[in-house]
Amino acid sequence: MKRKEIIGGIIVLFLVTSLCGFLLAEVYKATSPKIEKQKRLEEEKLNKEIFPEGEKFEKVKKGDVEYFVVYDKKKRKIGRIYTIKSLGYGGYIYLKVGIDNNFKIKGVKILQHNETPGLGAKITEDKFLNQFKNIGIENLYLKKDNPKGKIDSITGATISSRAVVNGIRKLMEKIKNEKID
Amino acid sequence: MKRLIDFKNFTKGIWKENPVLYLMLGLCPLLAISGSVSDSIGMGIAFTFVLVCSNIIISLIRRFVPAHVRIPVFIVIIATFVTITDYSVAAFSPQLHKNLGVFLPLIVVNCIVLGRAEAFASKNNVINSFLDGLGMGIGFTIIIVFMAVIREGIGNGTIMGRPVFPENYKPFLFMILPPGAFLVIGFLIALKNTIKGRRKC
Repeated sequence: MKRKEIIGGIIVLFLVTSLCGFLLAEVYKATSPKIEKQKRLEEEKLNKEIFPEGEKFEKVKKGDVEYFVVYDKKKRKIGRIYTIKSLGYGGYIYLKVGIDNNFKIKGVKILQHNETPGLGAKITEDKFLNQFKNIGIENLYLKKDNPKGKIDSITGATISSRAVVNGIRKLMEKIKNEKID
Repeated sequence: MKRLIDFKNFTKGIWKENPVLYLMLGLCPLLAISGSVSDSIGMGIAFTFVLVCSNIIISLIRRFVPAHVRIPVFIVIIATFVTITDYSVAAFSPQLHKNLGVFLPLIVVNCIVLGRAEAFASKNNVINSFLDGLGMGIGFTIIIVFMAVIREGIGNGTIMGRPVFPENYKPFLFMILPPGAFLVIGFLIALKNTIKGRRKC
């Protein structure tokens, strides 16, 4: 390859990459506030669905755990919202769980999962998730696993159902000595 | 032979040289996304946008790019447009962004885009490259949406989330799982070859 060709190539590549870099920086500047806002709105919407009476959600970081402290209209602490992951059938299930002052589950929302459509994916449905409302750690088992359990598993998706239940129970065991309010 | 504006460049992408059914390119996003009609439409639009833009730019600069650095230059241009699309979708339609997941940034390495840049845009004028990109993009979109209608319709009993069958229809789950995608694409390719009477592949 001749010297001239090499230099030509370098110049063209340099021009193209710097132009593209500049363009991308501009696009990033224009869109990143919107993306951030969308993420915040999404987070807030989910928090509000779990704790409808919550007024303010404050992010707290303690060691490697992160959670939201929920305040009501009178600025009283009424619970926490944790984000946890649990190994299901098709990988990790990410979910948000709200826990109130009495260590009862306030609500559960599935954020992300990779379960089988039509079977395990039913963990996102209200019919399954509503069972968790007001359940304490002592009843947080699948009915078929433990006589004290109060959760019906989904037909054909025991592993996915168990993953959700066990993930939340692990969390509750970890935090049971903490004071929420 | 080469005309300034040739509409065949547009129409060939839709049927005769359809990127999926004839060139057998871009199968990865096709198989992955075609489980849902609304995601497929989003994917088709994002893909067509990237293809058209990169075709235009590559055709514009084709005379200035030395042959030995063309591939990195093409990739940088394609990656730029993909990233622009990625940011815009994330900003304006976060739900779609979540559903398309990794397949949106993966348009960078989609062989249709690089294939058209290399095989067409780097050798033809801007208008023809634009038509080629648009035709190929629409060709891809038609196939992915068509597949999604079949898969979501039979596999989940819905189209764009609305039920299309009577209530007692029990969804044929197989279609919405990965094997269903292979089955449908196989039938579509067979159908195209039957219509064209082309036996050799």
